[in-house]
Amino acid sequence: MILEPCRDVVCSFWSMLDQGPMTLTITLHTLIVLPMVWIYFDEKKRLERGDVPEE
Amino acid sequence: MHGNRLYEGQKLALKYFFVAMVLFGAQLLFGLLAAIQFLYPDFLFGVLDFSINRIVHINALVVWLLYAMIGAVYWLLPDEAGREVVGIKLGNLAFYVLTAAVAVVVLVYLFVQVGPGKESTIWFITEGREYIEAPRWADIGIVAVVLIFLYNVYATTMSGRRTGILSVLMADLIALAGLYLAGMFYTDNIAVDQYWWWWVIHLWVEATWEVYVAAVGGYILIKTLNANRKVVEMWLWIEVAMMFGSGILGLGHHYFWIGTPEYWWEIGALFSALEPVPLVGLFVHVLYDWGKHSGQGHKIINVPAFAWLTVETFGNFLGAGVWGFMHTLPQINLYTHGTQWAAAHGHLAFFGAYVTILIGAIYLAIQGKAGLKELKMTKAGWWAIVLITAGMLFMTVALTASAYVQTMVERGMYGATWQGYFAAQANRWFLEGMGWRLAMGVVVIAGYVLLIYDMLTCTKKQPAEAYEGEVAAAAA
Amino acid sequence: MAKVSVWSSNRFWRRSATWVTGVSAVLLILLTFDSMAQMQMGTAKDIKNKVDKRIPSPVVINYKIEYKMSRKRGHEVPIIGGMSPDGKSLYQVKEKFFGRDDYTEAEARALIHKGKLTIQAKNCMDCHTLLGNGAYYAPDLTKAWLDPTWETLAPAYGGKEYAIATFLQNPPAMAMHERKMPNLGITKDEAKAVVAYLKFMSAIDTNGFPRNFGKIKGAVDAWK
Repeated sequence: MILEPCRDVVCSFWSMLDQGPMTLTITLHTLIVLPMVWIYFDEKKRLERGDVPEE
Repeated sequence: MHGNRLYEGQKLALKYFFVAMVLFGAQLLFGLLAAIQFLYPDFLFGVLDFSINRIVHINALVVWLLYAMIGAVYWLLPDEAGREVVGIKLGNLAFYVLTAAVAVVVLVYLFVQVGPGKESTIWFITEGREYIEAPRWADIGIVAVVLIFLYNVYATTMSGRRTGILSVLMADLIALAGLYLAGMFYTDNIAVDQYWWWWVIHLWVEATWEVYVAAVGGYILIKTLNANRKVVEMWLWIEVAMMFGSGILGLGHHYFWIGTPEYWWEIGALFSALEPVPLVGLFVHVLYDWGKHSGQGHKIINVPAFAWLTVETFGNFLGAGVWGFMHTLPQINLYTHGTQWAAAHGHLAFFGAYVTILIGAIYLAIQGKAGLKELKMTKAGWWAIVLITAGMLFMTVALTASAYVQTMVERGMYGATWQGYFAAQANRWFLEGMGWRLAMGVVVIAGYVLLIYDMLTCTKKQPAEAYEGEVAAAAA
Repeated sequence: MAKVSVWSSNRFWRRSATWVTGVSAVLLILLTFDSMAQMQMGTAKDIKNKVDKRIPSPVVINYKIEYKMSRKRGHEVPIIGGMSPDGKSLYQVKEKFFGRDDYTEAEARALIHKGKLTIQAKNCMDCHTLLGNGAYYAPDLTKAWLDPTWETLAPAYGGKEYAIATFLQNPPAMAMHERKMPNLGITKDEAKAVVAYLKFMSAIDTNGFPRNFGKIKGAVDAWK
């Protein structure tokens, strides 16, 4: 099996994602950064509509 | 009569600053004693043992930084919100309660020192957990005082002008206070104990305190350079995103070897490796603003505050960023964990990230209290910043040299045994590092004496034109 | 359409900061739930059923504890009560601790409870490191129970638990280095409890820290 189900003392969801070369941490980083792309385009749409925050 | 133009909140800030600087002195003094003991172990043996000196050294550090942080918030809060602090009477009461509690805790540390292995010791003498040794009764008192402080901040901001800086501070301070609760329980399981202990220590110094610094740094930029508020606040939000984004899960770099699951290795490695990024941002931002400001031919309104802020950006990046990154990867940390590496990093990081900016904030208050249009650097002020900064930097280099020896000899050559530990500690190169550390400690203390002298006298040594616009400065 | 700059929009960065902070906090909480489950202290039943725990039951004080390289995990792991051919703990080989190897779960828990309280009450962490955290004025205590120093002292005291307990009650009398440990008023009962805690702590799975513990006995030492 490619995915070793349990690399650690105790098996768990997170240690399953931890498959060696930074698989877990890259997953988490992606999870955090990807939605910012959506925030970017949403904000762009709003600014083009002229919805400028007063500051 | 100068003081009359201040808000009551700002007068309270001055009290916090005063105690902070006294505790800063205590921190340096007890650090000196501990540094002497590394070289002459019989010094004060059985009277003030190393453990006691170190407790006072690190607790005075944490407490004075918190005092100065609270003080800086009370200073900028009425100014930003455009109104007097709400509930200032309660705030004043909290100050005296907290100060009395701190005095009692320190006296117990010094004169009772240790207790029997019972719950009562945890409640009344020491919790024996590095940085948060304060006994449980004091924990509860601290929580009560912090609640009053939060009430002051929230009530004032809600009914005044809610600037971006205040919005960040409101969110940050509640997290900062809430995290303290994670350190207020006892467990027999030392792995679980240290797991939550790091929630307090790490999420303070590598997350909420850093964001606090970004917010107060923004305020200092506005006050010393008249920086554009919109740009300052944009940078502030960028820094919040990057500091919390890397710092919260960067907590994983403390979970490599304390009985925690292996997956923390890679979480801690990559997230904490990104922690220096926002520190570079802070650094670039301040230097950019400085260049722009002087390019337009403006004068710096408060030179000492701005100088300390500049040292902050260097020190934070070097101490927290570079020295932290040096041993944050698990493959390196396996050998450096629990050695002088942490001491080297800790000294420059606490100094660079926090001591510097809070001294800067105190200089802002000194200018405000005297009602001066601008504050120039005096000769004593320059010597203070040079001696303290150079002393801390070379102290860190000396500790790093010792750390190399300890890692190589104890961990590499001897397989981390006690014999290896003592072989490393007796190594000539290790001892030379410790000697330079002690010498640099003396330099820092000389700088501290000058700093206090300058804080007390600098307003009297300003050129005549600084006094001209007194009323204008107070109104700003 | 007007050209807009999202990168210099305060609202974009505020929303990003809120998102990043929120999701990081949620992830940390989820990870913490998982870690807490994995770090629960084991029970005597786990030991009976040969279930490996990161933090084993305190009854490990009845067993022989070693620290061996695990091929599967790539670092050393605690081996409790002897090792099977495939490198796992057998939980069979006992070792007398203050003359007994039949401490019940309740007895062992009471011992380590007192031991942990004593460790905190005497501020051990402000000279020593435990699990590598603390001060750097005195040796790390993570695997102190397994340190070769105590093996060499053990015969003179009738076992290493007695040697360590004697040391703790009056450390200057047994000083090993000019940097002496002070006399902290540790009683006989407290000393026994602390030794129990040290033995228990040496069985915690620390992911291979410290590396090569006790395997290397000193090579060249330039400039001693």
